[in-house]
Amino acid sequence: MVFSTVLKAKMDKHVGMGQIVLASGPTHLTAVLGSCIAVTMHAPKHETGVLAHVILAQSSGRNSPPGKFADTAVPEMIRMMEAAGAARDDIVARLAGGANIFGRPGPLQIGNANIEAITQILKQAGIPIKAEDIGGTKGRRVSFDCQTGSLTIEMAGSPARVLR
Amino acid sequence: MTNETCSGVNTLELLHQLFASATHDASAAMCRWTSGLITLSLDEVREIPLESVCSEVDVGDDLLTMVVLSLEGNVGGVMILTFDNHNGRELAAALLGQEVSTTEEWTDIEKSALTETGNILGCAYMNALTRLINVALVPSAPYFIQDYGASVLQQALSTQAMTSEHVLICRTGFHRQGEELNWRVFFVPTDAMRDTMAEALKSASPGQFRQHEIHHDKTEGTALRPAK
Repeated sequence: MVFSTVLKAKMDKHVGMGQIVLASGPTHLTAVLGSCIAVTMHAPKHETGVLAHVILAQSSGRNSPPGKFADTAVPEMIRMMEAAGAARDDIVARLAGGANIFGRPGPLQIGNANIEAITQILKQAGIPIKAEDIGGTKGRRVSFDCQTGSLTIEMAGSPARVLR
Repeated sequence: MTNETCSGVNTLELLHQLFASATHDASAAMCRWTSGLITLSLDEVREIPLESVCSEVDVGDDLLTMVVLSLEGNVGGVMILTFDNHNGRELAAALLGQEVSTTEEWTDIEKSALTETGNILGCAYMNALTRLINVALVPSAPYFIQDYGASVLQQALSTQAMTSEHVLICRTGFHRQGEELNWRVFFVPTDAMRDTMAEALKSASPGQFRQHEIHHDKTEGTALRPAK
C-alpha cells in the first residue's frame, strides 16, 4: 500500500482516504470529501503542490499512515514539500471539506473537529491558510492544480468555485 | 477484526452467512413493500483498504440519491441505500402508483416513499443483527440525501478509520424480476459493532446461519434453502 506519493510526470491523480500525494507542474490532484478535509500546500515559486486527504483530527500516538490524521499529515506534507525543494516561507495552504453530511449531532460528526485541528496545526507550523471552503452539510469534489495552487470545488446543486 | 474464530472458521465467511440471513429478511420485507417487484441479494462482505474503498465498492464521485439510517450508540453503524437519480425516481413512482416524475426537484411524497423503503430495509437488517449480538439497536429516522456517494460513505467510515486501516463493508444488490438494478445497500458498522459481532461469532458454529442462505426463486424472488 502506498500512502505518500511523489508524482513526476504530468497526470491527474485521485487521492484516496488517508493518502498524501505531491506533484509538480500541470498535474491535478482530485478527491471527493465528506467530513474529511483536503489539505493542500503549494509553493508558488516552485510550482509544487501536495494534497492530503485527512480523515480524522488526532492520531493519539497510533502508528497509521501519516495522511490519515491532521496531526501527522501536516508535518509530513511540510517534509515532502521541503524535500522537493520548496522553501518553508513560500508554502501556503488551502482547505476544503469538513462537512457534517448527516446533518445533526451525534458520534459521526467529525467535520468540525477536523477543521479545528487542521487550522490549529497549520498555525503552529507557521503555514498561512490562503483560502478555505469548509463546513456545511454537503459533500465536495475537489481538484488541485499543483502548478498554480488553485483549488476547484464542486458541491451538489451549486456552481463550481475556485479558491486561488 | 481477526479473520478466524475459535473454531478456526473464517470470520468474514460467518459474517457473510449472517448478512445473507439478514438480507433474506430484508428481501422478504422489500418484496411485500413493492408487491413482489423487488428482491435483494447479498453481493459481498469485505474488508477493504481505506484508501481504495470508494473505488473498490464502485461508489465514485457521481451524485447519488441516498437514504441513510444511523444506529445510535456505541454499538452502532450506518446503513446507506443508494440509487442513481433515475432509478430512485422509478422506485418512488412504482410505490406511489404514478408516472416517473421529470421535475428537477423531488417532491416530499417521493422523498417519503424512498425514506420509508430505507426504514423497512433498515428494520429488517437490524432485527437480524439483534438476534446475533443480543444488543438492542436503535435506528435513527431515515433521512434523504442527494450528494456524492463517496462523500457519504466516507463519513460513515470515519469511526472505523480511527483504529483500522481496513474497513468492513456489507453490500447488497437489488433485482427487479431477475434484472439487476443500480441500487445498493451498504452497511458500515462502528468499531464497537465489529467487535461485538466478532465476539458473537466466536461461539457460532460454521453452519449456524446457513439455514437462512438465500437463493433466487422465479416466482417469489427469494426463498429459504435448508442447510445441507
